Amino acid sequence: MKKIINYLLLSISLVLMISCDKGFDELNTSKTGVISLDPAFVLNNAIINSFSSAVGTSTLTYEMPIVQQMFSSNTGVLFGGNFNQTSFSNTVLNWTNYFQNSINYSSDVISRTKNDAKRTNLYNMARIIKANAFMILTQTYGDVPYSEAATGYTNNNFFPKYDTQQSIYADIIKELTEASGALDPSGTIETSDVLYSGNIVKWKKLGYSLLLRAGMRLTKADPTTAQATVVAAFAGGVMISNADNAIIKYDANFGNGIGTTLTGTEAANFHLAQPFVDFLKNSSDPRLAAIAVRYVGAKSGADQAAQITAGTGDKTAANQYGLPVGSTDGNANGAGGSLPGGGTQFAFTQADRTRVVKKTSPMFIVTAGQTNLLLAEAAFLGWIPGGFVAASNYFAAGVTAHMNQMASYDPGSAIAAADITAYFAIPANQLTVGTELKQIGEQYWVASFLHGPEAWANFRRTGYPALTPNPSSGSEVPGGFINRLSYPPSEILVNSTNVQAAISVQGPDNLATKMWLFK
Amino acid sequence: MDTLLHHLSWPRFIMSRCFGRFNYLLFFFAFIIIAIDSNATPKVESVAITVSGKVTDETGLPIPGVNILEKGTTNGTSSDSDGNYTLNLTNENAVLTFSFIGYATKEVPVGSQTTINVSLAPDTKTLEEIVVTALGIEKSSKSLGYATSKVTSDQIAVNRSTNMMNTLQGKIAGVNISSLGTGPAGTSKIRIRGQSSINGQNGPLIVVNGVPIDNTNFGTNQGNTAGDGNNSVGNRGAGASTDGGDGLQGINPDDIESMSVLKGSTAAALYGSRAQNGVIMITTKSRGTNKGVGVTYNMNYTDETILDYTDYQKVYGQGEYGAGPASPNAAPNPNTGQWSWGPKILPGMTQILFDGQGSNANIPYVAQNGILKQFYRNGQNLTNTVSLSTNGDKGGMNLSVGNLDSKGVTPNNSYTRNTINLGFGYDLNEKLSFKGNINYSNEYNKNPPVVSDQDNSIPTSLYAMANTMPLDVLKANAYNAGGGEFNYSRFTNRTNPYWVLNEVKQNIRRDRIFGNISAKYDIAKWLYAQVRVGQDYWSRDQDYINLPTGKASINSSSIYSANAAGFYNGVFTQESRRFRETNVDFLLSATKTFGDFGLNVTAGGNQMYRRFDTNSVQVTDFVVKGLYTVQNGRLKDPTYDLNERAVNSLYGSAEVNYKKFLYLNITGRNDWFSTLSPGHRDVFYPSISTSYVFTESFSSKPGWLDFGKFRAAYAQAGSDGDVGAYNNKLYYGVNAAQFGGQAVGNYSNLVVPNSQLHPMKLYETEVGLELKMLDGRVGIDVAAYNKLTVDQIIPVQISDASGFTNTKLNLGQSQSRGIELMLNLVPVRTSNFQWDFTFTGAYNITKVLKLFTTKPGENITVGTHVFDGFVQQIVGKELGQIVGYGFRRDDGSINPDHKGMMVFSSSTFNDDNRPLPTLQPISFGSALPKWVGGFNNAFNYKGVLVSFLIDFKLGGKVLSGTNFNAMRHGLSKETLVGREGGALDPSGNDPGKIVGVGVDVNSNVNTGSAKVEDYYSVVRSQHIIEPVIYNAGYWKLRQVTIGYDFTKFLGSKSPIKSLRLSFVANNVLMLKKWIPNVDPESFSYTSDNVVGLESPSVPTTRSLGFNLNVKF
Repeated sequence: MKKIINYLLLSISLVLMISCDKGFDELNTSKTGVISLDPAFVLNNAIINSFSSAVGTSTLTYEMPIVQQMFSSNTGVLFGGNFNQTSFSNTVLNWTNYFQNSINYSSDVISRTKNDAKRTNLYNMARIIKANAFMILTQTYGDVPYSEAATGYTNNNFFPKYDTQQSIYADIIKELTEASGALDPSGTIETSDVLYSGNIVKWKKLGYSLLLRAGMRLTKADPTTAQATVVAAFAGGVMISNADNAIIKYDANFGNGIGTTLTGTEAANFHLAQPFVDFLKNSSDPRLAAIAVRYVGAKSGADQAAQITAGTGDKTAANQYGLPVGSTDGNANGAGGSLPGGGTQFAFTQADRTRVVKKTSPMFIVTAGQTNLLLAEAAFLGWIPGGFVAASNYFAAGVTAHMNQMASYDPGSAIAAADITAYFAIPANQLTVGTELKQIGEQYWVASFLHGPEAWANFRRTGYPALTPNPSSGSEVPGGFINRLSYPPSEILVNSTNVQAAISVQGPDNLATKMWLFK
Repeated sequence: MDTLLHHLSWPRFIMSRCFGRFNYLLFFFAFIIIAIDSNATPKVESVAITVSGKVTDETGLPIPGVNILEKGTTNGTSSDSDGNYTLNLTNENAVLTFSFIGYATKEVPVGSQTTINVSLAPDTKTLEEIVVTALGIEKSSKSLGYATSKVTSDQIAVNRSTNMMNTLQGKIAGVNISSLGTGPAGTSKIRIRGQSSINGQNGPLIVVNGVPIDNTNFGTNQGNTAGDGNNSVGNRGAGASTDGGDGLQGINPDDIESMSVLKGSTAAALYGSRAQNGVIMITTKSRGTNKGVGVTYNMNYTDETILDYTDYQKVYGQGEYGAGPASPNAAPNPNTGQWSWGPKILPGMTQILFDGQGSNANIPYVAQNGILKQFYRNGQNLTNTVSLSTNGDKGGMNLSVGNLDSKGVTPNNSYTRNTINLGFGYDLNEKLSFKGNINYSNEYNKNPPVVSDQDNSIPTSLYAMANTMPLDVLKANAYNAGGGEFNYSRFTNRTNPYWVLNEVKQNIRRDRIFGNISAKYDIAKWLYAQVRVGQDYWSRDQDYINLPTGKASINSSSIYSANAAGFYNGVFTQESRRFRETNVDFLLSATKTFGDFGLNVTAGGNQMYRRFDTNSVQVTDFVVKGLYTVQNGRLKDPTYDLNERAVNSLYGSAEVNYKKFLYLNITGRNDWFSTLSPGHRDVFYPSISTSYVFTESFSSKPGWLDFGKFRAAYAQAGSDGDVGAYNNKLYYGVNAAQFGGQAVGNYSNLVVPNSQLHPMKLYETEVGLELKMLDGRVGIDVAAYNKLTVDQIIPVQISDASGFTNTKLNLGQSQSRGIELMLNLVPVRTSNFQWDFTFTGAYNITKVLKLFTTKPGENITVGTHVFDGFVQQIVGKELGQIVGYGFRRDDGSINPDHKGMMVFSSSTFNDDNRPLPTLQPISFGSALPKWVGGFNNAFNYKGVLVSFLIDFKLGGKVLSGTNFNAMRHGLSKETLVGREGGALDPSGNDPGKIVGVGVDVNSNVNTGSAKVEDYYSVVRSQHIIEPVIYNAGYWKLRQVTIGYDFTKFLGSKSPIKSLRLSFVANNVLMLKKWIPNVDPESFSYTSDNVVGLESPSVPTTRSLGFNLNVKF
């Protein structure tokens, strides 16, 4: 009997030993990996990547050449918007960066805080960051995955469907409205927030300012919704002071995307574009001297570097010459030779790498300058009260705010109050009846300098500034402007069903097709 | 009291199983206690009858080790070295059975005899060969419904290589073994029945004495984009592509008693997931063959010389575009050391090398011959093994101590291995027996050669060295004044080999101990239980120095230095790895006979746990020049990695036989994998096989047919093999830098975990036929199989809009089909002379059926060549396609007559009408061989044994990196076309021009020329790999062995009982190959999926030596 009991026990224990897969979950959890991380830290990543280095490269190769603020004559890795051509390595940058970073991480925060009553502020902050990212994405490509986006982990949805831009905008407006309204200064303060250090009042203003931006973006596509949205945003309270600006304060470890490129290997190859320099120069705008520098007589990047070291770069506004749009290396070199002091293409004016486009330069996501200008437009349209007087006040406040913003880049870029006064003393620089939209559009263009996606979106919406199409011979949009960027080849390859469905609705997947917002 | 105690311990033990780490020691001892405690059977009392005698073979020679058993009892003994035995009987009416493998069993009733001399006859009629099958269960080979191959210790030990598996090339049907050109401690790549994994692992499971051991390889994995990282570990950092060896190399072939290869999934069905690519079962020696104490000494010495297959042009020497190295390194003619596009070599010409400093201004411009032999030395391998064994009635043991000293052909490369192996078995009482073995090895691999890379790789530089560059000049000028490399070529990545020899160092030390201990308890005559605990543990320390790529320099002043100002160049990496795998298993087995039917039922379970720790620190920016220690580095980057996984399994098998000629075997196994998510974690797979020995079922059979067996099997297997640990969860990381004083979090990677992953499955069907005819003079064993692998886990690019870049999906499907044949012939058998002929051959073809979909042409890239080209898996094609750009051909749309002609660029520049590449990469065929095999002839004339083995691999393609370089550097003989008699420029310095035969892009006949250097450099400039794709096949005289057994000359008084001496030669002769300049076997990528990508590796060697075996 004893024997039988023994064998029985042995057998049972053996079966238990094997069939039991308890402990496997624990075993298959990395002891060196981080399973849970405070979502506030993850949101910081989403915030920083609201304008990543990849977006910086996209801005340099597409958005700023399109709106003719900065230009490279380089036909190599930098080609793209400068010749109105598709360069897949650069057209994909906004797509991959926003989906993989800002949207992915804000979605992670949203899904982890949605049901956490203690972190409602964090939840709503994340919704605002996500909305900002999606605005940039959809205005770059048109229809994009939205409702199923960034659910690769949560729903194992690896091939999300696309949503129309119209439906995306409707939801962005809903999200911004809800999130801005729900932010509660008496709730939990997220002290590790890198944008506003947990200042909920400022977050609220950011939310409503983005709502204002979203509303104004619809003036062409859906004026009714635009007006309602703008009214709601204005009522909620938008940022009108530089103190409320949404700024990513880059440092040596997290470099400014544009600054990193312009202080790296491509430092010598980008110049301010002629239309931008001429516009500032012709209006005696003090911002030109704050932004620009010219290395007179430079024939190479080394010549430029030598002048930087020697501190001999010419910052005088009157001596600035922008690179003609459409220049190739060949004719740019020739044109450089006929500049005062001679040189080659390297002698054209650049954005100053020692001031506004340092590696550590801040990036302005939403500013009082931009918001005031949008309010000027709203007042002009009669959507907010005050009529022309209010419009011209907002206009002046917007321009002034952007001029004052220059000091944030570098003390050397600070604009003296007297210079601002002198600028407005010129009648043409004041808002003038009959040219309101043109002036507002031009100033928004200047105020969005370096924020390529925003400058490009407003240009497409308003048609201002009235730029001359890039004469480049290989243009894929002959005689016109790039209206959108192509979808990434990887989407065509791996998410083909969904992307083809979107193409059939939106139109051919090229640089020319106009999206719903800007038809 | 003790009974009470252990009864109390059971519930706790069971609890501990489910709720904590399993204490297998407790389990093991509990088993023993129960077993001893339950042994109520009375001791067998001996009766006072003693029988003794001598066992001989049919020629009268004694047979040692014959098993002599008193029938119906466990009482027995074995014969000693002289064939003598003595046995005390327990029964007055005893019957003795004499059995020995290869001989017919004989039964002799004792009656009143006290001396029984027996002569055993060779068993040719019924093959009662015992095969070790899954889980270490021994089975009669005739009962098996699937193919196995047995390897004897002599096949491994006499004519050997440092990695013992390499010795078996061409010897086992269906097994493809590739040694790599990576030094003496290199990896051995083993493929059983081809390879079927699209993206994962293909190596077989290695089992020693019934318990799996680790065979991770450490090696050259550059360009590997496949998911076989679990079994293949690369070096950290670039520029250190060396082969750090695998797990098998730690085994001393002298310790091996036998080996069997389980080829199909049926054979492996009981080993589960890791056996999907077959199993190599190694049994080490655990007791002596003779009664009493035996001492064996084995010495093996081989001398290796490199084989130089280069056949380069020697007409035009160093230089570029026709200009040789003249003025001191001035443009346009800088150091050309890796280019042979210079002027025609004429008597009396000189060249200026190394800036013309010292005597370098006037170096004769003559072709150099045999630089490989000049650079490399002879390798030497010496193995000494002493083993001590005993054997007795109750048990025995075998203890061996071995030492291998190997000097690699690369002058700073050596490998030493010390091994201690202890095997033992003991019958504690009538019912309880123990077996165990412990293997300890200590290895030191010094400076395994850097291969394949551009940088710091000696073979890459040597194989592409300008043909007029004298090595002594290269050696004398290795250093510049500052201690950096004195560049001999503008291609600075091709580091001076002598500089590399002195400056690029690596040390790998490994200590390993593996073994297992098992206890078997005979509960009843028909029932036993067995418990086994095994562990494989190793620790491996590795350190290596890399130097910055190009212009190798350890100076901080170098403009190429990557270090901060004031610090010195270099990268030093120190790694420490620890690995542990434990396996605990139990087995219950019952065997009963019911009339004509026999039944065996076995059930068991296994628990596998594996843990792998890696600490690594990489430092740069050295404070003191040339001192490579962690402390001396300013920048340090330490990492720690921990990986754990477990598999729990339950399995069972049932075998029914009818009259021992018809067998049916059913197995089932269920695995639970820790790496998968709950709900998808387990997989069950069955197998069924049958064996029909038809010669035993006939009442009368033809006289010429000795034995005939038909077998058939169907099996499934499942595996999580391609999923690493922790792949079902998303992990966060924290950026090392704060932003604005705050932490920044991220995902640790953008490969999204797929919680739906489930084990892949494999379905294999095989049939086979075995025949023995004409008194054993003809033997045939043929097998055919069809293996379908579905739900293979493959990495998939996903939409970025998902937030992630990749995931893994159960999508891949592949199918392998093949035939294996083994043929034994004894063409001549006389009393003085015997000729044995053995042929083994296999044909295998594996096709990719599905990746994401079944659409033909869909592909994934699993490997990238260091120069140009990839390995892809393409739906609808054979596995392992070599892909890259070919020559563009006219499509005939403009002029049908021009269809298929090469297309050249019609450049507006002069002399630039070069071949154009295809618009898309194209595939050139599979790198995997279709035919693998060999034939062995063994002649025995009065004890002189002469054998030679010819082996072959046929039907695969290779992309040759060595020839790629030879082509673009002007070394290939093909590059003479156009130089000789080319349209020479009157100015003199002209390399010649070539007008390509073909058309331009508009289908006009090409009339424009191209400079020969540019023309042949299209392999690089246009990425056209077509000219360097070759048939990878070969026929080789692999081994020659001449042996003689001197035992009969030893007097009976001699302390030496046996003495055998063999002369051995390995890799003797290349009989046929299709690739120029290299041995088609000289590969250097250890990675599973990177096949067919040749790049310069250490030349293969021919070894000559002897093996001496002395028994005392």
